[in-house]
Amino acid sequence: MIQLEQVSKRYANKTALDHANLHIPRGAMAFLTGHSGAGKSTLLKLIMLMERPSNGRVIIDQQDLSKLNGNQIALHRRKVGLVFQNHQLLEDYSVHDNIALPLKVSGYNNLDAGRRVRAALDKVGLLSKEKQLPRVLSTGEQQRIGIARAIVNKPRLILADEPTGNLDPKLSAEIMQLFEQFNQVGVTVLIASHDLSLIERLPHPKIHLHQGHLSGAFIGSN
Amino acid sequence: MTTDKATSQAQRSRPETLGKRLLREHAEVALSSWIRLWRTPITNLLTWLTLAIALALPGTLIIMLNQAQGLANQLHTSNQISVFLSLQTSSEQAQAVAQQLQQRTDIKQVTFIAADTAMQEFSLASGLGDILQSLTDNPIPATILVEPQLKSADAIGLLAEQLRQQASVDQVLIDQLWLQRLQAMVHTSQRATWVLATMLALGVLLVMGNTMRMQMESRREEILVIKLVGGTDAYLRRPFLYSAIWAGLMAGSLAAIIMTLALTLLQPSLTDLASSFNSTWQLHNLTIWHWLVTLFGSCGLACLSALLTVQSQLRQIQP
Ligand SMILES: Nc1ncnc2c1ncn2[C@@H]1O[C@H](COP(=O)(O)OP(=O)(O)OP(=O)(O)O)[C@@H](O)[C@H]1O
Ligand SMILES: [Mg+2]
Repeated sequence: MIQLEQVSKRYANKTALDHANLHIPRGAMAFLTGHSGAGKSTLLKLIMLMERPSNGRVIIDQQDLSKLNGNQIALHRRKVGLVFQNHQLLEDYSVHDNIALPLKVSGYNNLDAGRRVRAALDKVGLLSKEKQLPRVLSTGEQQRIGIARAIVNKPRLILADEPTGNLDPKLSAEIMQLFEQFNQVGVTVLIASHDLSLIERLPHPKIHLHQGHLSGAFIGSN
Repeated sequence: MTTDKATSQAQRSRPETLGKRLLREHAEVALSSWIRLWRTPITNLLTWLTLAIALALPGTLIIMLNQAQGLANQLHTSNQISVFLSLQTSSEQAQAVAQQLQQRTDIKQVTFIAADTAMQEFSLASGLGDILQSLTDNPIPATILVEPQLKSADAIGLLAEQLRQQASVDQVLIDQLWLQRLQAMVHTSQRATWVLATMLALGVLLVMGNTMRMQMESRREEILVIKLVGGTDAYLRRPFLYSAIWAGLMAGSLAAIIMTLALTLLQPSLTDLASSFNSTWQLHNLTIWHWLVTLFGSCGLACLSALLTVQSQLRQIQP
């Protein structure tokens, strides 16, 4: 599902990735760890086409991302659900409208979108909050709304960047359980996190990023 | 892309044709951007007024000058030459000259105005009757109005030159000359107006572009999130284009109203001015055609500037 071939990403005075190889199979759930500034977000950004690699190829679902341009970038992003650390909900949109956004951009009508939004809200257990504004919700609830937005389009791949960064251990564990539920129905999940105490208790493969080099599970050999 | 479409179609309740879907999406965006306009009514109203004035100023001038050109062209049929005889000429001599001119084959018609008649007409028209009465000598000469046979400027000029050589002729005036000057003046004013209109249209583009830039800046977050969940540029452009269309329509309507008011105010004095040229010319107000041109022009300018700005802003705002 996710394939990195000799991928390097250099910023002006920092090399975030250095000839990295990685192959995460379809249906897997993995954690991406590393100290702050190691380049975890950078790797996710390459998958979302928010950044382009300096070298190498990123292949998602058999699609070489370097070949995508213009509208193809938008279509690629629709296939990937992204969960942010700081949830990135729009303040003047209701919970419903926030979650409906990925559906509206691909042309869903209000009826179908509403149905799907409620299904997603149901999955994260916040069906009663549909009409509210995000700012009246707790941090944990906001994070779950962010997750509902990421899964509403039924993507085959979910990326999460520090999804538990602002949460207490109990809430963090709940969020991780949500991701495990999605993974159980076949969705590939990659979670970047440095919350080691939480990750170590979970039975999923870990990929470690240190000074631009990957180690641990799913490391492709070259 | 095709698989993506196919799966999402299959999961929907009613399949929609592409045309229907686009129509629905456009209607939704048109409505929501109309509602959004009224979130900041004062700011928007001020922008529309600014645009409206920039459009109404050249618009009013163009409508007025186009009609003035009509007037000048209508007067063009006058080829008359006014021949003023010298003051020493007696009444009999003057009439003799008039009769002699009537014989010429290159003259169609001759109208003789005796010195006394001219004096009477003038004192009536000028209201200076008493003062003129007190003069011992009549200061106004006998006048012969000559209608030439040929209408070309050359022929008229030649005839005028010959008349000028005649004994007892003091001065010869060709009506066409001042007409030509009037036409040249109208023409120059029209050109100046188009230059002005171009500059103001540029101003409209800039004001509109700046408004769009500010709108997009205030919705930066939204644009970023929409990009990340897979919104295409066309999708992102749509609300801003509709807001430009609405702004164009509002500014255009306001401009048409301002122009109507301006022309209504100018109408009486311009009609008076025209009647002093013996013309029944009347300034007409805005027609439905003028309204349409103003609305479409305003909308077109707004859309053009929105397209240019939005495209460059969308390229700049990247997640
Ligand atoms: N646009 C950029 N320009 C220059 N340097 C950048 C840019 N983006 C990231 N970096 C640098 O690349 C390195 C990796 O950043 P990244 O955000 O991927 O780290 P991270 O592992 O996600 O860290 P954290 O755990 O704190 O989120 C950092 O040193 C950062 O300063
Ligand atoms: Mg990060």
